[in-house]
Amino acid sequence: MTDVLIVGAGPAGLSAAATCARHGLSVRVVDEFMKPGGRLLGQLHEEPDGTWWNGIEEARRLYEQAVGLGASVACGVSVYDAARGEEGWVVSTTEGILEAPVLLLATGAAETALPLPGWTIPGVMSIGAAQVMTNVHRVRVGERGVIIGVNILAVAIARELQLAGIHVDRMVLPPRNPVTQEAASPYHVMQSLLRVAHLAPSAFIRYGSRLVKSDPLLRLAVRCYPAGGVKMWRMPIHLRTAAVEILGTSKVEGVRLARVSPDGEPLPGTEHDIPADFVCIAGGLHPLAELAAVAGCPFAYLPELGGHVPLHNERMETPLAGLYVAGNITGIESAKVAMAQGAVAGLAIAEHLGRLRDRTALADAIAHVKRVRRSATIQFHPEIGRGRADVERMFQEQGISGK
Amino acid sequence: MDQGNIVICRCEEVTLKELIAAAETYRCSARELKLRTRAGMGCCGGRTCRRFIDMVARQATGEAPSHGIPLGYQPPVRPVAFGQLGGVIG
Repeated sequence: MTDVLIVGAGPAGLSAAATCARHGLSVRVVDEFMKPGGRLLGQLHEEPDGTWWNGIEEARRLYEQAVGLGASVACGVSVYDAARGEEGWVVSTTEGILEAPVLLLATGAAETALPLPGWTIPGVMSIGAAQVMTNVHRVRVGERGVIIGVNILAVAIARELQLAGIHVDRMVLPPRNPVTQEAASPYHVMQSLLRVAHLAPSAFIRYGSRLVKSDPLLRLAVRCYPAGGVKMWRMPIHLRTAAVEILGTSKVEGVRLARVSPDGEPLPGTEHDIPADFVCIAGGLHPLAELAAVAGCPFAYLPELGGHVPLHNERMETPLAGLYVAGNITGIESAKVAMAQGAVAGLAIAEHLGRLRDRTALADAIAHVKRVRRSATIQFHPEIGRGRADVERMFQEQGISGK
Repeated sequence: MDQGNIVICRCEEVTLKELIAAAETYRCSARELKLRTRAGMGCCGGRTCRRFIDMVARQATGEAPSHGIPLGYQPPVRPVAFGQLGGVIG
């Protein structure tokens, strides 16, 4: 009999599995990808202190730890339904029905698309797909690429493609249309980039960004943004140029660009075409919470956390008895925060099932999540703390049913 | 190229122009917009386009996002073989 079923073998799911197994619980983890590790598998970057974060190594460490403690981890298994049965959760998977009194959803995040003309042509992919092809499958995505969408995740992955010897020609904005919205606004994109400018490899960008603290200065910076872009790792990042169409018939052949006003409006007569054989669309991440929805969990809409998240408290409990969440399903943050949340979920589950002897461990783990969050080098949203406080307050107002 | 010709729902081949026209005619919820245009009703279950259907509906009605999920999820939330649904496997 499985005590705990965990959906998702990423940083949150694996660290929760190890924590549960350490407390004597029988744990089963399923993941639809063919390898454990989740988004860790794609991550490779240099930390501000000069050390390297190698996600593949981290994933291996977490996997070996969980399995070494007795958890079973099955990859290549998709979960397509979760419902409350008489004795616990009944979970439908491509390997059959699994049942457990406790279900932890650690399904992570999904990428948001940026639709533009030509985005359905073969050779157009999400930036995360390019990352997985490069770092996991070791497949060259193309010879000359253009990234559409400017954000921190795209900059980090562009660097990984470069390290793999792939030419990323430039990074441009998506066109302004009813479904791209703020991602197409030079002003909004500049604002969000400035929050991470301290990570830039160029002193010019780091010090320049400190000068642009007030709104009028920010608007001035957008108006005066260099037409040739600002280079980061030799790759120009454009905030006043948008891709208005991806060109090609049976495969990507190029991108049509246009200069845009500070509001993102294309300037007539500035259209020009550049060659490309692949295009990455970088629209950011949102919590992947479809299983929580079919399970009947209430949600909260908190833009600070990346959109709709399942209602949960700081112990990672949802209002539904025996249903827990951890990692990016609860809000977009770094893998380190996800690992810390996984440990909290594991301890809360152990307590729920009467296996936690040291109650202070749970309080310590909750405090650790907050410490990791504060020390994160990348805040995906500057108001992440407010989003976390809001979801906690909403949870307390609603209370736990069926306990 | 006209941004209106962008395909938003690839499974059901619904364009941005078609979604906007329906949203402006009926000033309706995301769910009604989905039912009227079939956007989000294809085999993928609207995995990519659901947020765009919601954006277009909200722009037409002027409604702020709510805590509830605008377009409900129904199982199966992943494509599965008929045999699996029929209980032949497992």
